[in-house]
Amino acid sequence: MNGVHDMGGMQGMGAIDIEPNEPSFHDDWEQRMFGLFLSMFAGGHYNIDEFRHGIERMGGPNYMATTYYEHWVSGMQTMLIEKGILTAEEINGRMSELAGGNS
Amino acid sequence: MASYKHTAALPDTVLRVKALESLLTEKGLIDPAALDELIDTYENRIGPRNGAQVVARAWADPEYKKRLLDDGTSAILELGFSGVQGEDMVIVENTPSVHNMIVCTLCSCYPWPVLGLPPVWFKSAPYRSRAVIDPRGVLKEFGVELDPDIEIRVWDSTAETRYMVLPLQPEGTDGMSEDELADIVQRDSMIGTAVVTAP
Amino acid sequence: MVLTKDMVAGLVSTGGSARVDADVAPIFKAGDRVTGRNINPVGHTRLPRYVRGHTGVVDRDHGVFSFPDGSSVGQDKPQHLYSVVFEAEELWGPDAADNFKVYVDMWDDYLEPAP
Repeated sequence: MNGVHDMGGMQGMGAIDIEPNEPSFHDDWEQRMFGLFLSMFAGGHYNIDEFRHGIERMGGPNYMATTYYEHWVSGMQTMLIEKGILTAEEINGRMSELAGGNS
Repeated sequence: MASYKHTAALPDTVLRVKALESLLTEKGLIDPAALDELIDTYENRIGPRNGAQVVARAWADPEYKKRLLDDGTSAILELGFSGVQGEDMVIVENTPSVHNMIVCTLCSCYPWPVLGLPPVWFKSAPYRSRAVIDPRGVLKEFGVELDPDIEIRVWDSTAETRYMVLPLQPEGTDGMSEDELADIVQRDSMIGTAVVTAP
Repeated sequence: MVLTKDMVAGLVSTGGSARVDADVAPIFKAGDRVTGRNINPVGHTRLPRYVRGHTGVVDRDHGVFSFPDGSSVGQDKPQHLYSVVFEAEELWGPDAADNFKVYVDMWDDYLEPAP
């Protein structure tokens, strides 16, 4: 698909932000996301092409406004729902429970 | 808000990842201890020091360099490095007249076994967009100004082939040991956004 | 299969190559002039827009690999994958004469013989 992920040759994306001594991960949730992705991939629940296409379908504005591992979160959720492993209701329900049940 | 640098996650993201992990654990589809082990592996055990050892060996041993350029995957395995996101490696050699640079314009493809996980800038829009249309401008942002006579070859990792640059060995380093050579090889020189300089 | 802690080292060091052991004949060979097809599929593709309709030269044949456009919908079509080299001027016009080339990995289905 002709998505915003296909960036080769685009202009106006700004300067390259180089972080000295950058860590492998910037936050705990990134680590968990990384582990989730590889675990479920190893489990054979999706292939790399399906997963990438899951990310590409998150929507251009959303893709541009979020960080790299947030792309993975979106791709992962799309895979899990489309493969019938989890439902959106289950995920939202669990998020509410974890947040204290108020949302 | 932009994806070109690391910024704080959306408030929902942290909760969402926790929800996914807890639901998948309950369903018996993942083992949280395996997640811990994966994280530890890529945070502490696999990184650009691996690639630096490959480069140092290639500089020190012309026969190894030949094998490395001929079949990168096998030659890298000789040093014990292999696996996820490096199953099919191609090594591209810098010479006095050619400078190579790696990018993945479509996502974030990167040779994990030799370089570890990619830095945020490698996965970001400014680098991915401009590397293939203005490589000299990109290199300048990294402080690298190449002679106009030097041909730049940009390798866009659009498939499952993973590329690594064999940088040019700086003059005056012939007498150094492999360990000493590995010490001067920094990550970016194996991506092609830096050159190696003598200590 | 559930990935457990003791399986991690094996997974990490082995991975899973997308190379396919299949007897598929290559359509092109190193040195051939090829043009990126002008296709705009709504599904997954690894054919970047910036090479569509542009002509380059096959630099090398990587062998037979899984084809993402098919694999992403569970219908793989393994075929030869090549590194194709494009001159900067071909991709970005005469003003781009800045002494660089771009190498792009492309499958048979992304290519046609250059006119």
